[in-house]
Amino acid sequence: MEFVSPEGLRLDGRRPMEMRQLRAELGAVSRADGSAIFEMGNTKVIAAVYGPREVQHRGQQLNDKALIRCEYTMANFSTGDRMRRPKGDRRSTEISLVIRQTMEACIMTHLMPHSQIDIFVQVLQADGGTRSACINAATLALADAGIPMCDLVTSCSAGYLNTTPLLDLNYVEDSAGGPDVTVGILPKLDKVTLLQMDAKLPMDIFENVMQLATEGCKAVANYIREVLMENTKQLENRRGV
Amino acid sequence: MKDAGEETVTPGQVLGKGSEVKAGRGAYLSCDTVYASLTGCRSLLPPSPQSPDQRPTVEVIGHKAHGPVPEPGCVVIARVTKVMARMASADIMCVGSKSVREKFSGIIRQQDVRATEIDKVDMHSSFRPGDIVKASVISLGDARAYYLSTAQNELGVVSAESMAGGTMVPISWTEMQCPLTGQIEQRKVAKVRA
Repeated sequence: MEFVSPEGLRLDGRRPMEMRQLRAELGAVSRADGSAIFEMGNTKVIAAVYGPREVQHRGQQLNDKALIRCEYTMANFSTGDRMRRPKGDRRSTEISLVIRQTMEACIMTHLMPHSQIDIFVQVLQADGGTRSACINAATLALADAGIPMCDLVTSCSAGYLNTTPLLDLNYVEDSAGGPDVTVGILPKLDKVTLLQMDAKLPMDIFENVMQLATEGCKAVANYIREVLMENTKQLENRRGV
Repeated sequence: MKDAGEETVTPGQVLGKGSEVKAGRGAYLSCDTVYASLTGCRSLLPPSPQSPDQRPTVEVIGHKAHGPVPEPGCVVIARVTKVMARMASADIMCVGSKSVREKFSGIIRQQDVRATEIDKVDMHSSFRPGDIVKASVISLGDARAYYLSTAQNELGVVSAESMAGGTMVPISWTEMQCPLTGQIEQRKVAKVRA
């Protein structure tokens, strides 16, 4: 199957180095302390953050830092066929753990001992790159909740099909069986917090693909910063500052 | 109106060099550079004239206001939930004049109810479950609750319901009367200034 045409166009008409359209909205869940909806093309994810609040299970309380909990779920209607997903299935547990570790690296947990921060992420529409969209949505929701972070975490995926590195794979390209590299970085501090790959890649091609994904992350970071600035200006206007 | 010098920053943005500015609220220092940790307005505070360190402090004011937290020495308003032989539990609802976002637990011990004859205090004649009391926070207490004290004239029960259901009227610093039945009940009453 041909994923990159001879003219250099992918199945959805993008160029290999082009990301899908990004869209973000803050404050979608009014009851939560912070929330965000993040869309990468057709993948749509909603994240809600509660905290810092009192720890619900006394035994899990940490004396010197905040406890971060994360839950990833996919809505029944998120994929092509409506399927009832069990809550604790292996893929969900793994992605929950990945998101928690990624966010824990950037939240300044030492400022909030004896407390708990809950991050709930739900996929509303899945079209590849759900892991990355979830991390980006969680970053926005944490920034909306006013939780101190050392930097924004952004994530993007890249793959390698038909001997071409491709940025931001959609579902069809992801299920083609080629390698899928997901990178999460702290853009201003230039540090990597998440690096995952399935399938195998030779080392030099891997470096190209990872570099491409990192550039995609920086582009997402610029967009997220614009959204946060715009949202803050709107809030200030409403308050009459 | 917004100051021309203030700008909006996002987490991770550079606010200044560690040798020139000090990191205040919403900012942190890493490898000699001060970065923002919140989204909000950046503002520069001048240093206090007495301090040896003459660097200005940069801070970021976020737009999300977190609820007030009880501090030792502040006056709080709490609702009594449990009364036991040697202490009473209360839920702190207001700190000063602001209501809290999430309720905090407080304990009034027998020795902190009043200032005189503290070993002869009967908890059931001082508080009943459901009473609204004004207390001051003595300390952060243990992991479960703050320690509160009503050992001053202005502290104690502010509002209480009688067994008949009516809001009682204070008569003295130990008694309140129900307006519906005329029954007198014992409480440690607060002297509210008229």
